[in-house]
Amino acid sequence: MKIVTMDPSICVGCKNCEYSCSFVQKKDFVAKDSNIKVNWYPEDRFCIPVTCMHCQEPWCLEVCPANAISRNENTQAVEIDQEKCAGCKMCMLACPFGNIHFDTNNKVSGKCDLCGGDPTCVKFCISGALQFEEEEDAFYSKRLVLDNKIKKILGKGNSENDSRD
Amino acid sequence: MTVETKLKDRTVKQTLCRMCDDHCGINVHMEGNKIVEIDGNKDHEWNRGRLCVKGRAGIDLVYAPDRIMKPLKKTESGWQEIGLEQALDEIADKIKSIKTEYGDGSMGVWKGEAIGFGQQENIYRRFIHAIGSPNYFSNDTTCYAGRHLGYSTVSGVYYQSDFDHSQCIMIWGSNSPHAHPNVTQKIMRAKKNGAKLIVIDPRLSTLARKADIYVQIKPATDGALAHGIVRRLIEMNVQNDTFIKDYTIGYEKLKDYVQSFTPEFVEKETGVPSATLELICETIAKRAPQMTSYVGNGLEHHENGVNNIRAVCCIDGIMGSYDVKGGSLLPEYLNTNTLTLYDELPLKHIQPIGSEKYPVFYDLRQECHTMMLMDTILSEKPYPFKGLILSGANPAMTNPNSAKVRKALGNLDLFVVRELFMTETAKLADYILPAASFFERTEIHGHALHQITTLTERLFTYPEVQDEYQFLHDLAHRLGAGDYFPWENEEALNEWLVEPSGISIDELKAHPEGFPYTPIRYQKYLTEPFKTASGKLDFASKYLKDFGYSELPEYHSPRYISEPKTEYPYTLVTGARKLVYYHSRNFNFKRFKTAIPTPEVEIHPLDAKKLGVKDDDLVKVTSDIDSIDIPVRITHDQEILPGVVQITHGWQDANVNLITSDKITDPIDGFPAMKSIEVKIEKKQANG
Repeated sequence: MKIVTMDPSICVGCKNCEYSCSFVQKKDFVAKDSNIKVNWYPEDRFCIPVTCMHCQEPWCLEVCPANAISRNENTQAVEIDQEKCAGCKMCMLACPFGNIHFDTNNKVSGKCDLCGGDPTCVKFCISGALQFEEEEDAFYSKRLVLDNKIKKILGKGNSENDSRD
Repeated sequence: MTVETKLKDRTVKQTLCRMCDDHCGINVHMEGNKIVEIDGNKDHEWNRGRLCVKGRAGIDLVYAPDRIMKPLKKTESGWQEIGLEQALDEIADKIKSIKTEYGDGSMGVWKGEAIGFGQQENIYRRFIHAIGSPNYFSNDTTCYAGRHLGYSTVSGVYYQSDFDHSQCIMIWGSNSPHAHPNVTQKIMRAKKNGAKLIVIDPRLSTLARKADIYVQIKPATDGALAHGIVRRLIEMNVQNDTFIKDYTIGYEKLKDYVQSFTPEFVEKETGVPSATLELICETIAKRAPQMTSYVGNGLEHHENGVNNIRAVCCIDGIMGSYDVKGGSLLPEYLNTNTLTLYDELPLKHIQPIGSEKYPVFYDLRQECHTMMLMDTILSEKPYPFKGLILSGANPAMTNPNSAKVRKALGNLDLFVVRELFMTETAKLADYILPAASFFERTEIHGHALHQITTLTERLFTYPEVQDEYQFLHDLAHRLGAGDYFPWENEEALNEWLVEPSGISIDELKAHPEGFPYTPIRYQKYLTEPFKTASGKLDFASKYLKDFGYSELPEYHSPRYISEPKTEYPYTLVTGARKLVYYHSRNFNFKRFKTAIPTPEVEIHPLDAKKLGVKDDDLVKVTSDIDSIDIPVRITHDQEILPGVVQITHGWQDANVNLITSDKITDPIDGFPAMKSIEVKIEKKQANG
């Protein structure tokens, strides 16, 4: 399936993703309503965007007592039917990544549904940190990136260095 | 309407976005005549399908409930709607009487940023000369033209940083994620290809978060750092001797001049540790000539702005990065017919306002200076200036010394503002004419970096809402200058403009993703002269020397360093952009205010402690001009230097330009020093 992948090495934490997602949900720019969150840690100069991974065995789906969570057959996205959701927050507890939030206006859970197969956050990501790609491709290139980073950390000891230094 | 018919009726038009100066390719999804969605055009080379949230808000702009859709006339009982033809008749009559009473030079035009792409600039230049005055003004006198002067006095043109292919990108005083969103993905692509990113900025900007080397420099001292870099690179003996010998002028003079910029001096002057200077130089040395310096608005608001920018350009110069792939490209432009009348009607006998004080600025930009306009209006020197047509600019918020701007513009006999919204400047007008948004005009546009041109599409029109061409056409015909405006509309003008290019309008229409008008050629200097006065790359500029300026890019300390004043212990940087706003624009869009609801002065935790303030407390910030009250936001301790504070412009309820000065300016380009203002800060008591 195609998923939203995130590359913290080039994310600037500009919040275009949060605002564009909020706009899709609420026609407003309320960052807390966004299904994608980007955190910025100034002490480490580190930004990381995170959204639902649409797990193969989604704990949120399994735990939902209202059967409100299902997998979309077309996009393979794990979706919440907000009409069925009872607002019990079990899914929020179950998600190991904290990628489900409570929609305080509607009193139900909210999460990424891949915008029906054309995720808005990716289209409004100006740095290129977010991509919508086949998971196999994504993880292969991620492994390469990770290999490189580990090599740098363990092999060189300093992120300022590269092969030329 | 059912879903099926909705989808059937949906059409996608491809044009460019003008919600900021990045001009990204967009898909405009329409149902009938109505825009329902905007997203990025994947095929446009500039932005490759990505867009920022400002871009989508084109819908907010075009359908804003407070958009001005009828001509308005100020009367004693307030604003009255007036028919367009009558408004044009009255404006033309008033212009005639002003010209008769005070002379041709008493009229002027001012091009702003808000309502179209670049084409309107030359239409305004043509119009004002056609009616006998040389007084063309624009927002470029506070943004862009300073970089143009700095860049072009060294290399002859406004060069384009080839981010995508670069191995070392130095960003001086620019925050692309907020100011030029799409430049961000170019820089990040380069980074993924192994480029090093060096960001020089007193603030840990959004872009600086990703810097390999972040250089937190004292405001307005960038020239000293640049000279220190040049000195050390020469000391390392890594300069490009072949390029320097064959294609440059003044290298030995520059080399001698920079010798005093030792790492110790640079550290003392700029606050940049000598180890950082060394790291920068090593990084450049390993990657040149695939390196490029990109200067933002940050440097042009220095008292020594032009020379600080020239100093930066000298780094690229000694490393030979000009016009090489991955370096600083010298772009070629689309060959069009010339709209301006500087050859036919130069009008030099009427002193263009500001040309005496800033002669290089006028010579290179052929543009009058807004820093001189307010004094001219108020003093009637060198001659009376009584009438102004201003289009999509908001100087009452964005020019320094707002109180003086308001007083001067309010003093005009005729002030016509073409606008989408009732801005603070529009409120001062005698007539407000509704202006076409960028969806309602068609212009020939160029992305110089890629050497592609895009024709923007007029998607629809509204009655009495004109584009700049139609307005100036109608006015010129009323003023006896109709011969200069023979084209019926902007479409006909476009046909004429592209004639010499060999490209037809139909070809442009067939390529909304951008039409490559000429292939990029590298190292053109091997066979052609640089476009400088000397024909070479000028480390030392005889051209500037002939105007009485220093030929070398001399460094002078900002006055907060050279003459510190104990009563003003803080250095105020203004104008850092925020994601959703564009200078003074977008503040009327409700959801943008939800995102960023209040103005703020960004302040270091140590200074906050000293002042006894916490987040959201109100402080009074005072310069020698005036003071404003503004809430505090305490930054992380790495995000700004202690002693330095930042206020973003554009907020009506805390307009920072009430405390900026139009008198402290760069001597070459006249730009106001808006990045190093001496201020004091006091905590406001709850009842104060």
